[in-house]
Amino acid sequence: MIKPKIKIFLVDDHPLVREWLTNLIHQQPDLTVCGEAEDAPRALREISATKPDVAIVDISLKQGSGIELIKDLKALDPDLAVLVLSMHDERLYAERALRAGARGYIMKRETAKKIILAIRQMLGGKIYMSDSLSASFAEKFVDGRLLTSGSLVEQLTDRELEVFQLLGKGCETRQVAQMMTVSMKTVQTHCAHIKEKLRLTNAAELLREAVRWQENNPAN
Amino acid sequence: MTAADIAFDTLAWVWCLMKRVRQNTGRAMLGHIKNLERHSRAAIIVAALLMVAAVGYADYATGPDFSLSVFYLLAVALAVWFVGAGFGVFISALSVFVNVAGDVAGGVQFSKSIIPVWNAVVALTFYFVVVWLLSLLRSLYRNLEAQVRQRTGALTEEIAERERLERELLEISEREQRRIGQVLHDSLCQHLTGTTLAAQVLEEKLAARDLPEAAEAGQVVGLVEEGINLSRKLAKGLYPVEVSADGLMLALEEYAASTSELFKVACRFECDSPVLIHDTATAGHLYRIAQEAVGNAIKHGKARNILITLTVSEDSTLLSVNDDGAGLPEPLPKQRGMGLRIMTHRSDMIGAAFTAHRNVIGGTEIACELKNEPLAATP
Repeated sequence: MIKPKIKIFLVDDHPLVREWLTNLIHQQPDLTVCGEAEDAPRALREISATKPDVAIVDISLKQGSGIELIKDLKALDPDLAVLVLSMHDERLYAERALRAGARGYIMKRETAKKIILAIRQMLGGKIYMSDSLSASFAEKFVDGRLLTSGSLVEQLTDRELEVFQLLGKGCETRQVAQMMTVSMKTVQTHCAHIKEKLRLTNAAELLREAVRWQENNPAN
Repeated sequence: MTAADIAFDTLAWVWCLMKRVRQNTGRAMLGHIKNLERHSRAAIIVAALLMVAAVGYADYATGPDFSLSVFYLLAVALAVWFVGAGFGVFISALSVFVNVAGDVAGGVQFSKSIIPVWNAVVALTFYFVVVWLLSLLRSLYRNLEAQVRQRTGALTEEIAERERLERELLEISEREQRRIGQVLHDSLCQHLTGTTLAAQVLEEKLAARDLPEAAEAGQVVGLVEEGINLSRKLAKGLYPVEVSADGLMLALEEYAASTSELFKVACRFECDSPVLIHDTATAGHLYRIAQEAVGNAIKHGKARNILITLTVSEDSTLLSVNDDGAGLPEPLPKQRGMGLRIMTHRSDMIGAAFTAHRNVIGGTEIACELKNEPLAATP
């Protein structure tokens, strides 16, 4: 009995990339490309029709964001393995993509050599990411900077939590000060304490963390 | 005390008129004229009439032996210059009438009845000549003033136009850089990615046939991948700040890190609480200012430590770059370096205040302070 081929769906807005990615995947006897799309709406439609095993998704698309698409795809089919293929720096996007439900992140500059490896690794139930990225995650883990359970956030005082939540909702420092009717200086002091407690190195990280926490805890 | 003011300024002005008009007295005269011009026509008319009355009374009180008729000139001059030749003629006639009436009221006896008439005609002629000369001078002065105003206006317009052009030029270069950066990132890099995939397919096909060229195809993949890396870096340099409100923080952080690595200096970026810059162009300018300042610190100041800070307060956002280098020469040379000028220019363009000076440790501190927009409605 012939084992059915593993179906892969491509979402990328660049035709040349789609074409040669297809050719590359077809070099593998057990893999096949079952469809492709250049924007999020079409990708959603076709993926629900073709039921692929793996979806390879670019973050920047003609229409819609790749990250949102990943969330929608995971809602559609929790078993679908999504591999993000992006020109964007993994340091900025990988964590967001993985949290959105992707099982792998690969930068376009290393696609050719690594993509098949990544697909196989994901099919084996593992997460694929570059060595430098996994090293940086490991470091964060050792430092306790990965906010998995929100346990670090629990260490914040009520006022600090309020600042953290407002930042996460997209407020600027000035707005936070205004809404809490405190001075900017106070907000900045709170920010310094939050950074210390959550082991964040800078304000940009603080903001990212706050937004992510807010996304994961929308009830707050 | 409008009347007293007018009287004083008139005296001072006439004094200046009588003196030889050197450059500085000329300027003083203009000052008095400007002072007088602040008063309304009605005030000047009243002041001229009061002056005639005052001189008339003084003339009457001092008796016929003293002639004070020259003092009516003050009122006449005031009338001509600030109201008009017609009113000047009227004040002249009034002055002569008051003068003669004073004499008559004082009971002065003339040997011939023609004498007061003759005197009046002589005085009137004299006043009329003064009125004519003054109105001539006045129209000359007004013409000159109008010309100066016109030329100044043209010059101001030209300066404004030039500034607008400079701004436009900088904006165009900024926009072009961004466009080229985006094309590099979005098109060229994607194209190269497609190329690496194609080369990879080739490599695998060659390898499947056990051909030794497979290794070379593999090398092509590596080379094109390096090309992708190079173009990404190029794109980053052309368009460093991502289009998002926290883009500037991220870009400065990355810049500080790469500068430290590349130039073997300690370059740090500090930002206590999140600073969001919603306008991409503004963020771009702030980034370039920081970049220029850091570049100067390394190149000219030979700094070992550089600190970039971004802070926000109630009413402004402040970008500052401090270093421990050689510092700026003080006072700054008249021909300031291109770098400083461009930083100032960029600050002007985003409406920020720019300063550059020696800091407490002898290095340079540049600061760019941007007034905050009023807060939008809180989300």
